[in-house]
Amino acid sequence: MTRYVWRWLAVSSIWLMAAASAETRPHYGGVLRVMTHTVLASLDPHDDSGLDSFHQCSVMMLMYDTLVTTDASGRIQPSLASSWQSQNGNRRWQFRLRHGIKFDDDTPLTAEGAAASLRFGNSDWSVSADGDSVVIEVKDGDPELPAELALPRNAIAKRNGDGRPYGTGPFRAMEWNPGKKLTFAANDNYWAGRPFLDGVEIEMGKSFRDQLTALDLGQADLVEIAPEQLHRASLEKHHVVSSRLVELVALLFAREATSVEEKNLRAALSLSIDRGSIRSVLLQGEGQATASILPNWLSGYGFAFPADFDLARARAELEQARSAMHAIPSRTIQYDASDPLARVLAERVTLNAKDAGFSLQPTVSASADLRIVRIPLVSADPWIDLTYTALLMGSPLPRTSGSVEEMYAAEQTLLQTQQLIPLLQLPVSYGSSGNLNGLEIRLDGTVSLASAWLEGRKP
Amino acid sequence: MMFRRKLLTVFALTVFVSVAAVAGLVLAVTRPAFESMEDQRTAALVSQFQRAFKEQGAEIARRVENIANSEAAIRMTTALNANPGDTAGYFELAQSFAESHQLDFLEFVNDRGVIISSAQWPAKFGYPDNAFETLSAASGQDAFLKNEDLQDASALGLFAVRAVGIGDHPIYVIGGRRLDKTFLSTPDLPAGMRVLLYQNQAEHFSPELLLDAGAGKTSDSTRPAEKFESLIDAVRQYRQEMAAVVRWSPDQADDEIFHAIPLMGAGKNPALLAILLIGNSRRPYVELKRSIRNSALLVGGAGIVLAILLSSWAAARVTRPVEQLAAAARDVAAGNWNTVVDVPGNDEIAELANSFNRMTTELLTQKERLVQAERVAAWRELARRLAHELKNPLFPLQLTVENLLRARMQSPEQFEEVFRESSRTLLAEISNLKTIIGRFSDFSKMPHPQLQAVEVNEILRGVAQLFQAQFHADGREAITCNLELEENLAPIAADAELLHRAISNLVLNAMDAMPNGGTLTLRSRGHDGKTIMEISDTGSGLTPEECDRIFTPYYTSKQHGTGLGLAIVQSVVSDHGGTINVRSQPGKGTTFIIELRSGREALANSAAMTSENA
Repeated sequence: MTRYVWRWLAVSSIWLMAAASAETRPHYGGVLRVMTHTVLASLDPHDDSGLDSFHQCSVMMLMYDTLVTTDASGRIQPSLASSWQSQNGNRRWQFRLRHGIKFDDDTPLTAEGAAASLRFGNSDWSVSADGDSVVIEVKDGDPELPAELALPRNAIAKRNGDGRPYGTGPFRAMEWNPGKKLTFAANDNYWAGRPFLDGVEIEMGKSFRDQLTALDLGQADLVEIAPEQLHRASLEKHHVVSSRLVELVALLFAREATSVEEKNLRAALSLSIDRGSIRSVLLQGEGQATASILPNWLSGYGFAFPADFDLARARAELEQARSAMHAIPSRTIQYDASDPLARVLAERVTLNAKDAGFSLQPTVSASADLRIVRIPLVSADPWIDLTYTALLMGSPLPRTSGSVEEMYAAEQTLLQTQQLIPLLQLPVSYGSSGNLNGLEIRLDGTVSLASAWLEGRKP
Repeated sequence: MMFRRKLLTVFALTVFVSVAAVAGLVLAVTRPAFESMEDQRTAALVSQFQRAFKEQGAEIARRVENIANSEAAIRMTTALNANPGDTAGYFELAQSFAESHQLDFLEFVNDRGVIISSAQWPAKFGYPDNAFETLSAASGQDAFLKNEDLQDASALGLFAVRAVGIGDHPIYVIGGRRLDKTFLSTPDLPAGMRVLLYQNQAEHFSPELLLDAGAGKTSDSTRPAEKFESLIDAVRQYRQEMAAVVRWSPDQADDEIFHAIPLMGAGKNPALLAILLIGNSRRPYVELKRSIRNSALLVGGAGIVLAILLSSWAAARVTRPVEQLAAAARDVAAGNWNTVVDVPGNDEIAELANSFNRMTTELLTQKERLVQAERVAAWRELARRLAHELKNPLFPLQLTVENLLRARMQSPEQFEEVFRESSRTLLAEISNLKTIIGRFSDFSKMPHPQLQAVEVNEILRGVAQLFQAQFHADGREAITCNLELEENLAPIAADAELLHRAISNLVLNAMDAMPNGGTLTLRSRGHDGKTIMEISDTGSGLTPEECDRIFTPYYTSKQHGTGLGLAIVQSVVSDHGGTINVRSQPGKGTTFIIELRSGREALANSAAMTSENA
């Protein structure tokens, strides 16, 4: 009897364990419903109108692949290129392509096709095909070229002349209602293996609040969560995943400060902003108040740029500016009307500046003296992010060896122009339903759905 | 103007004035009534707004109280009592409550006046509320008006304050609703009324600060907001309710009367925050006034037409006897003495008609008597003339016969000679008697003129030619004959022979008047459709008395005249439809003036007269 009982218990335990493991094991099927605030303007990876937003990058990485990619540690890993090598002081790079990879239109990926794709978005590179390899030649030695190639904007796309780009990614676009809805289907012949999901439906232009509501109501599986809502989402027991600090929120002046009084004035503005209050109240403690462009985790020297709030110094700087300018004219500060955080930030900066005696006027007009910008740090390579920021400021950085010292000096130079006043560094966060598994946030803040799968949803 | 027209005019004017007086009276009576009604409507709306204000205020106070009593607010107050500086977690609380309680403004403020959370200006967390003293004093009281500072402007709102009184550090909940177009349109406005709100946020009047509850745009080209400036400035100055009529166009129907009500804020020295403008269109009143006026005009017009018709009938009845009298008077004037006016009735007109009839009867009687008397006088004159005329030849006859008899008896031997001489004398006198009788016979048998186209100048020349020899006859002083004839005179309708005879008579008279010679002038001229002939002499002339009687038959100023010459002349001229006048001065001469119709009309008439005579 006892033996029978024990046998019965053993069989039952095995059966229960098997059942349990079957629930948590990845399986195919299901369509992932995604909502985003960002509105995608184009499916072309080389269309830069999206300003390399995280959402655009995430979508691009569903459709396209890059020659190389970065892993969770920021290291470069093979992707379409199985191996690569540099020559001539990083001036010539050769990437050998994998075999048997096909585009969505069932045409094979060739070195010539990959070269043509890269030439499309990088006019200052010399890109050619050499057998099954793609050869890229740059004027100055560029050790970060693989990291640059890992960016979604350098994804390999094929254009057949019908205006529609084709990719080699895990999903292929099926329905494209610009600005509203985008539907993907799994690429059954994906070279790295078919994704678990049968498809992805993305509804765009949804407010953050509506997204959270849809998540609560089970109408969405994956939504964006604004930094200011992160705390609330956590309190409400949502499944939230966040990246590292990969987004810089800053004040960007239209022009570089050329005069001393203008520099005094901008210094006064920077000192008058109570970043700590903004972080603690507006962002509910999320993100990081900063005075640097690169986050400390990326550069290692972020602490060297203290985000001081010193109203007395601000007034003193402003007084110096006033003594030279006699009267300080009011400035306009522009914010994106569709970004709730930007608006409150603009108003708060205006209030802080007013405390120092400096008049700002928030506006949504494009012709403002300064604006609130969100700069995505889209690469795990700090030099690329710094270069990208410098380009945004209109102050391209000279090519260096890429050492930390040179990078610090370059960032300091950029900040000394006082065209950019860093305010906050933010993570990118996503909320997901409980049945979404395998969701990965890459180091650059983009979402990877290659390994994601839906639990308990019939296809 | 005819009597009937005068009567008609008087009647019509009487009706018109009566209708106008009635219309004016109606307008005068209705105007105060309508103005009173408009005032009542406005007062009702003002009262309605005040009620709405109170109700909205009570509603806002209720919502703010609900928020203050909510679990979240109590939890927040409790937590902040324990840790006053930890306000970060409540950043969105005000916005959340404002949305759920439909408030435009909501702030949580701690007991030091620092904003914890603000719905209307989220970025203002951590900043002090400048009006905290006033606001905290208003806690628990009714709603009040307040100007709320916003990021880019200020807005007027109806606020209420409630305190979450937990622990030593209460939290104040300050909530309100914006006084905007939605708020203003909350009461259902009667047709023709509208409400505007002027936000007193600038030192001087600004059209941008005027809110119109009913219009998409507060100001347009047809209704510029500047029209309110004087009224608003007056209210701002005196801070009391005022009213004024705003004219939008020359059409009075577009006018609106606006009552401006100052809206004051809270506190010891409340500020003038806004001015409520309640407009009432004057269109109904103006249109009613126009309707009354148009009705009056229509009724008046119809009344005038009716009055004209009725008064025509009445005037005809009244004036017909008068017209009969007038016609009868004209007949009498024309010589119809038998005219009788038949006016029935016993009124004044009938009496006048009877008097007229009596008068004509009397006149006729008198005329007959006069004619009779004149006839007798004429016969007497005729007898006298006949006696005179016949007596002159008879006397020589008598003497001759007596001389014959005497000669037969006394001197038979001379009888033969006397007989021959007496026979000659008798024959001469008998001839003279025949001549006299012939003249009388001629006068009695004056022929009717045979009219035809006659050149006056030809007749005058013919007469002058006829008497030319006599003007220079021996035994008398010469007479100079001048012809002053206007050429190209139109022919006249006349009997040339009779006219020649008449003028010859006048020439003979002139010659008789100039025994010592002189000048005879024959003139012709045309004037006003008439042909005028003048026969002037430079003779002895006539006295005025003689002039008056000179055309009387058998009257003569000459020793041997029959008194028929000028009578014949007048008869001829009269038969030609003309006139003859005399102008004379004693010692200077006499001028006879004959006027005859000339031209086509005279010829046409002559043809008609000729055919009639035929």
